[in-house]
Amino acid sequence: MATPLYVTETGEPIHGILAEFATPADLYHAAEKIRDAGYRRWDTFSPFPVHGMEEAMGFDRTILPLIVAVGGFTGAGLGFLMQWWMSAVDYQLVTQGKPFASWQAFVPITFECGILFSAFAALIGMLALNGLPRWNHPLMKKERFLSSSDDKFFVCIEAADGNFHPERTRQLLEKAGATSIELVEE
Amino acid sequence: MSQVASPHSIAAQFPALRADNITLPPGSGKGLGTMLMAAGLACVVGAAAIGVMGIGGVFARQALAAYHIGSMCVLAMSLGALFFVLVFHLTQAGWVAAFRRQAENVMAFLPFAFAMVLPTLIIEIATGGKLFKWLSKAATGEYVLEHKSFYFFGGAEIGTGHVPFPTFFVVRALVYGAVWTLLSRRLLSLSLLQDSGQDPSAFAKARFTSAWGMLLFALTTAFAAFDWLMSLDYVFFSTMWGIYYFSGAAFSSAALIVLILAALRGAGKLQGAVTHEHFHDLGKLMFSFTVFWGYIAFSQYFLIWYSNIPEETAFFKYRSEHWKGLGILLMVGHFVVPFLIVLFRGVKRNYRLLAVMALWAILMQVVDIYWIVRPIVYAGNDQPPTGAMVWITDILGVAGPLAIFFGYLITTIPKGPLLGVGDPFLRESLEHKNYV
Repeated sequence: MATPLYVTETGEPIHGILAEFATPADLYHAAEKIRDAGYRRWDTFSPFPVHGMEEAMGFDRTILPLIVAVGGFTGAGLGFLMQWWMSAVDYQLVTQGKPFASWQAFVPITFECGILFSAFAALIGMLALNGLPRWNHPLMKKERFLSSSDDKFFVCIEAADGNFHPERTRQLLEKAGATSIELVEE
Repeated sequence: MSQVASPHSIAAQFPALRADNITLPPGSGKGLGTMLMAAGLACVVGAAAIGVMGIGGVFARQALAAYHIGSMCVLAMSLGALFFVLVFHLTQAGWVAAFRRQAENVMAFLPFAFAMVLPTLIIEIATGGKLFKWLSKAATGEYVLEHKSFYFFGGAEIGTGHVPFPTFFVVRALVYGAVWTLLSRRLLSLSLLQDSGQDPSAFAKARFTSAWGMLLFALTTAFAAFDWLMSLDYVFFSTMWGIYYFSGAAFSSAALIVLILAALRGAGKLQGAVTHEHFHDLGKLMFSFTVFWGYIAFSQYFLIWYSNIPEETAFFKYRSEHWKGLGILLMVGHFVVPFLIVLFRGVKRNYRLLAVMALWAILMQVVDIYWIVRPIVYAGNDQPPTGAMVWITDILGVAGPLAIFFGYLITTIPKGPLLGVGDPFLRESLEHKNYV
């Protein structure tokens, strides 16, 4: 792992800055400010979905659909090839008087292989894009953060963000109306 | 978020509901609509004249087949609209409130679509069968037909030298017409009652109607497809036929609704009411039904190909030998092309692009029915007529019913508000958004 840019006084690498907000509206407007300040590696946490948050956070479109499409077409192609090779090349067997390479008979399994591979691509792609699975997350060490599944709203800006600066990022969150701000160690 | 509010308070909150945005000027579209209907009628008369007089060697039954193709396409789109209205009510769909009126406008054509099919059936029965082989073979009798004769002729005996009256066939046709008229009238009038705000239970009544209506819709659509398309060749049978006709109907009907909404948006109406979010979801419906059609069409072909029973296989054998290009166009055009294009989110969210695909979908509905009906006409003839007149007859016969249908829609749509202003889910629909 690369040397962390920022460390605490005790030498612990910094994961980021966690800020608490009192209401979903505060969280929403803070998200807009952080988005406009150009941050990329950060997230919001709320006990329930806040409508319009993905716009307030300036989400990009995920590339997951592309991964699924590649997986699906690969699976369908391989499924078709497998059947063709088995029926027409490796082990020729007359079935119902049909030609060995009858594409019609291959369609159901081709389709199923397409479904199987795209489902795997969707699951594995989602996990990979989210950085999962992982044993633990630095935020879990924070007692205060537990109320993000109860009645409080949080923003965490990661130190890995190019715009991150211990002082300036803290000031931005203060200005956005955070009720509490703390440093999160890795 | 979506509480029920009275129409008056909603109108004040949403600028999209201002009167000039949700109404067309009275009488607009009347000229164009009347012209289209007249042109459609002229097309039908022209096709009939060519057929009856035998211009260019064209047989009368080809003109009749062409008209039958057109009217079955119109029926498919009207039935599809009925299906969507039923489904929207059954699932209590909120997002559709801003445009369900347009599906209802298409659905309201159902009694007329039924009336459009009737002349074909009357001519067939009166002339002893030009297209329907079970009619023409009934005088002499035939082994397979004898086993199926009850389904067409009721108890009447066949093979007596004359064609008996097809009692059961006619009774069924009248039942379909009655069910479709009842359902389309009732659902439309409940929706209009809802607009007036006089009966708060109109929405619940429409939902209840849809429950038993869906059952009748499924049965009548499937059996109408058996009676009017599959029975052209009575020896052939496919239990999947009803759902095959339905899948194409739902696809082309979703496309027609998209087309109507795109035309209204293009005319500067429904701005902010029917947004790219609604088109996105309608595009998803189009996409799902092109996949569904592909799935059903292949499954039907697959089972017949595998079992290789002569009565069933003849249907595909004849078409793959003499109508191969059309069959490939159908596979590629009805499934592969829409699948690959409507798959993209950007296409679904751009109403102009989606409207192009909708036009394509309606064209493919015509190709589908053409592929079913047209090969019957000269099957078994050594020398079918060729030349421009053959094409002209087909085009006139198919375009006639479609032009009448579109003319009707163009005159009908401006008559009322473009969306159901009293719909309890209007707020939810106006705020509709795809979160993915």
